[in-house]
Amino acid sequence: MTEPVVVCTFGGTSQAGQDETEAALTLGRRVGEARGGELRWLVLGSAPVELDAIARRHAVVAVDHAEDAKLDTAGPDARVEAVAQYAAETQPRLLIFNQDFDSRRIAPRIAARIGATAVMNGLGIDVAETGGLHVISAAYGGDTNVVYAPDPSRPCVVALMANAVVAEPAGGSAAPPETRSVALDLSAVEERIEVLEPARTEGPRLEDAEIVVAGGRGLGSPENFKLVETLAEALGGMAAASRPLVDEGWIDSSRQVGLTGKITRPALYLAVGVSGATQHMAGCAAAKTIVAVNTDADAAIFRHARYGIVGDCLEILPELIRAAAQMGAG
Amino acid sequence: MRIVVCVKEVLDPDAVGAYALAGSLVIGDDGKTLTQTTIPTLMNAYDEQAIEAALRIREAGVECTITVVSIGEDATTILRHAVALGADTVVAIPPPAPDPDCHAVSALLSAYVRSSGGADLVLCGRQASDDDQGVVPAFVAESLGVPLVDIARSVTAEDTSDPQSLRVTRVTPDGDEIVRVACPAVVTVSSELGEPRYPTMPMRMSARRVEPEVVTADELGLSGADLEIRVGTVRQTVPTVKGDCEFITGDTPADIADRLVARLVEDRVLQQK
Repeated sequence: MTEPVVVCTFGGTSQAGQDETEAALTLGRRVGEARGGELRWLVLGSAPVELDAIARRHAVVAVDHAEDAKLDTAGPDARVEAVAQYAAETQPRLLIFNQDFDSRRIAPRIAARIGATAVMNGLGIDVAETGGLHVISAAYGGDTNVVYAPDPSRPCVVALMANAVVAEPAGGSAAPPETRSVALDLSAVEERIEVLEPARTEGPRLEDAEIVVAGGRGLGSPENFKLVETLAEALGGMAAASRPLVDEGWIDSSRQVGLTGKITRPALYLAVGVSGATQHMAGCAAAKTIVAVNTDADAAIFRHARYGIVGDCLEILPELIRAAAQMGAG
Repeated sequence: MRIVVCVKEVLDPDAVGAYALAGSLVIGDDGKTLTQTTIPTLMNAYDEQAIEAALRIREAGVECTITVVSIGEDATTILRHAVALGADTVVAIPPPAPDPDCHAVSALLSAYVRSSGGADLVLCGRQASDDDQGVVPAFVAESLGVPLVDIARSVTAEDTSDPQSLRVTRVTPDGDEIVRVACPAVVTVSSELGEPRYPTMPMRMSARRVEPEVVTADELGLSGADLEIRVGTVRQTVPTVKGDCEFITGDTPADIADRLVARLVEDRVLQQK
């Protein structure tokens, strides 16, 4: 077991979660191959249903399963302690997380606790000629990319952004992974944060929507956002917004798409009056088809869009609503 | 109650974004830094909201002192802004070497909090809008051995006359979560806290004469080894997007809408019912 590359996952057995896991395993395998370190997969808490198949597909050498009642409650302190204990035993060179709301709060704490470096917003990892890692990361909301060189004498913790890496199976027939249970002692852990009122998802989640209609500042006023909601409904999708609308209080932050909001991956992302700021695109770049409506033919959103309409969204939206309704009726 | 708020000076992200949208963002000759002199600097907006959170705690009736600290070559401008907003004390810690990384910044901030008598609450913005890393609060929390509550939209003392614990509303992807945490703690503030106040003219006038207290790494007992760069920057680039947008045109909005829907049906993105 020499300087393994470890991908750490927990919770999330959704399809999106599985895709992200496979992306992280793909990246971990490539780094391991480039600098000679076996790929291990640390699973905290309940394991994904497809665990064995996924592990074989990505030539995972070993699956380390960490189970403890304290890991099932999503408390950050237990997770941090569990990974710290695991790292002390396994001595990973590189620890990769899929970046999400939960991993973002534990990954840097784990790094601090085990004396590792930490890079968030990861887009990829290259192995430099020196053998050190070059971690590519999004900065300025994605307007720039920064390549970091973490100190090679320390382990490195990377949080990988959704959709940054395309999952690719290892190919060939990998041997089944060695599977073992990680010995943990979490008896001393008492969560220091007490949840008084848990978050409650009401209705469907934006992350899971197949069709998303997003409104931006170009809509002009909160009343016009109703057109976005009506179109979303007519298409059987969900309404979303760019950050300025959330900041202005037009819509709840649970509908915010972007780097600091939701990462969506719908089949159709229809952006209306959205300029296409990079921080917004981070939340929709994985959409299969992006359609943009904007008055400004030079708007950045058109660089990302498959189809574009240059025009006043207040004129186009009612017609799109009509056409969508006709399609449903036809 | 002693509140320490950590703030950073950043390039105005809106200006950076505007240049990026226009396709005219330039990286300097060193291959690493944005050197466009037309981009103004300001206090990281999330950090400004962290100050706002501290001011709201005070206005709710909690007896407290608010200290605002920044690591920077010349943090005077943003620290005077902090005074204008209502900070009681402002502290500048010049980094011993330029461009300190998150580890060096965290080490300086933690050492400052420890050496200045500790803090019941350390408030930070959720992330800096330049590197977007957001790891410093976690490093400070671990270094101080206190809990980290992140992405808050509101921070209040449970008992304003005896602020031993905090009630924090966190913004999660599944909606708001309300948690309780005992002090001392590190809390990071998100944009959902709402607009920070605008300093009044008298406050701005009096803040103009304020000189921040300067604390050096030596005074904090930190040496070069404690502050060595662990995450070096190799280069910074501006990503390019290849566009292949097909523009849908037509005589009327109705015409355009019909054509778009027809294309999406053709592509099987939409299904005719």
